[in-house]
Amino acid sequence: MRRSFAGPRIAGAVLLAGSLAVLIAVFAIPERGGSGVSGPRFVPLVVAIGLIALSAVFLLRTWVRPDSELAEHSAAEDEATHWPTPALIAVGLVAYAFLLEPLGYIVATTIFFAPVAYLLGSRAIVRDALAGLVLAVVLYTAFTQYLGVSLPAGLTPIF
Amino acid sequence: MDAFSNLIDGFGTVLELQNLLYAAVGVLLGTFVGVLPGIGPALTIALLLPLTFNFDDPVGALILFAGIYFGGMYGGSTTSILLNTPGESGSVATAIEGHEMAKRGRAGPALATAAIGSFVAGTVGLLLLTFLAEPVADLAVQLQPADYFALTVLAFVSVTALVGRSLIRGMLALFLGLFIGLIGIDQVSGQSRLTFGIAQLDNGVDIVLVAVGLFAVGEALYVAARLRHGGHDEILPVKGAKLLGREDLRRSWKPWLRGTALGFPFGAMPTGGAEIPTFLSYATEKRLARGKAREEFGSGAIEGVAGPEAANNAAFTGVLVPLLTIGIPTSATAAILIAAFQIFDLQPGPQLFAKEPDLVWALIASLYVGNVMLLALNLPLVRLWVKVLEIPKAVLTAAILVFATLGVYSISGSVTEVMIMYVIGVLGFFMRRFDFPVAPVILGVILGPLMEAQFRRTLLVSDNDFGAFLERPFAVVLLVLAVLALVLPATISRVNRVRGLGGED
Repeated sequence: MRRSFAGPRIAGAVLLAGSLAVLIAVFAIPERGGSGVSGPRFVPLVVAIGLIALSAVFLLRTWVRPDSELAEHSAAEDEATHWPTPALIAVGLVAYAFLLEPLGYIVATTIFFAPVAYLLGSRAIVRDALAGLVLAVVLYTAFTQYLGVSLPAGLTPIF
Repeated sequence: MDAFSNLIDGFGTVLELQNLLYAAVGVLLGTFVGVLPGIGPALTIALLLPLTFNFDDPVGALILFAGIYFGGMYGGSTTSILLNTPGESGSVATAIEGHEMAKRGRAGPALATAAIGSFVAGTVGLLLLTFLAEPVADLAVQLQPADYFALTVLAFVSVTALVGRSLIRGMLALFLGLFIGLIGIDQVSGQSRLTFGIAQLDNGVDIVLVAVGLFAVGEALYVAARLRHGGHDEILPVKGAKLLGREDLRRSWKPWLRGTALGFPFGAMPTGGAEIPTFLSYATEKRLARGKAREEFGSGAIEGVAGPEAANNAAFTGVLVPLLTIGIPTSATAAILIAAFQIFDLQPGPQLFAKEPDLVWALIASLYVGNVMLLALNLPLVRLWVKVLEIPKAVLTAAILVFATLGVYSISGSVTEVMIMYVIGVLGFFMRRFDFPVAPVILGVILGPLMEAQFRRTLLVSDNDFGAFLERPFAVVLLVLAVLALVLPATISRVNRVRGLGGED
């Protein structure tokens, strides 16, 4: 089976960098709340050190006593992954979140639904557009009228 | 007999028409969402949490969630059997023989033995819970902060070390969860911690954000990435009018009871989890199989569905023992259930038993109702749930993203929190790619703050003397167990390797 350590190495490096950022953030916690082992800094410090140590071991095991199972898993994933699809969906999600309040729940959800279904391989454009609209209206009505949750009305102040 | 009369009182509260309706709605909704591929019970509960907002009285909401809890689990096993896509690790063992049975056109009996087995296991488990709950809660009152600290450590270690393929990745996942749990204002000192200057993070990262992000968005992105790879999942049909024949019943009842006997104790221990008992049950049934059953193992033996499914449900019921009596969740699903309690400002644990016994017994009674409701509604509706599986995957995934966003937005009312949930979703995507377990993150987020609070309380009382953790014999035993759980698996595989028994590296 094919093996690849490229992915795990990048992941390990990102984890290590993130863990170091956590350590820096730990030292930004004010000591005002008390110092020592029962203060607000101690447990975060232990967690940060744990993260750094574990990330380092994770990274190290791509060279020393390599974790071959992970390398095979990673190679299989690399082969199967088509990056543009999840990236575009992530962009779609961010746009959805930002449009939710200005456009309102119904419009934003309708606009979001069909293109995402298309990205995911559906080609029934009309059906998906209708499904998105129906889903949006049903959810909006149910949540605002019966569950007492307020959702942004935006462009469609129907209730 | 005290427990019995309390239970009767509980039934008195629950058995009203309106509450029965809530239980029915809960079971239907829970099954509907649980059936959707890739959605396990934890995510089902997280997505349906907004339903509780309109309740003034916690009893109705808890009854609804008792139904959702059982429905979500049963829905998950339906999907495992028909599609071979288990939504939670507890259903993996069910899927092995269950899917083979479905392939041979025996989906009906597989679903029926799963449903009745769940009911049997649920009923036995609930009886045990009824009689264990009060004694355990009485013991739990005497627990000191040091004991709680040790309990949380043990729960962490067992979820991390006993599950998943790599200890390092499990521990990394746990520490990520601990880190997320630390974000926000420190309860003791009032200092803002690890927020990286983002004001919204002061309130901390809600467990619902973490669960929805990791399970829903992470899974959706993962499905999207692998879209061009591999064929379509085929939904296997449920044929024949008869669901469970006499022969099937004869072969099922012993595995149901054996599965229950394995599942409940494992679930009820502070180590928790359904993975070990379900696989133990699978192995037991395989070993005990004789004659026709023996030939069928590997190509769909009903014993291999009946046992693990009963074990799964019994373990889930067992998990309620530490959850309700001590306040310690030992599975991702139980952690989300705590979120449902917290919406009503209720904290499960011995204090809840002392302060609100009516509520606790109403909850236990409603679990019985939910369990009966599940059997009554789901056996006739099996064909309807199969229809749900026919929703095209693309439409379904898009809808899951809509539900995930809606769930978080309706809880927080904030776009920033939705964005934080998406970021956690991207993290979940990469965790799947590199084969990190997800459950330790959830447990770290919910139990981390509890562990820290008990740790600091112990040290405040003892004037920063770590010896305080070793003065309580109970705490010492738990900590020793935790160390063993951490070290033993690795040591055993090393010893095996040295002996040349082929421990894999």
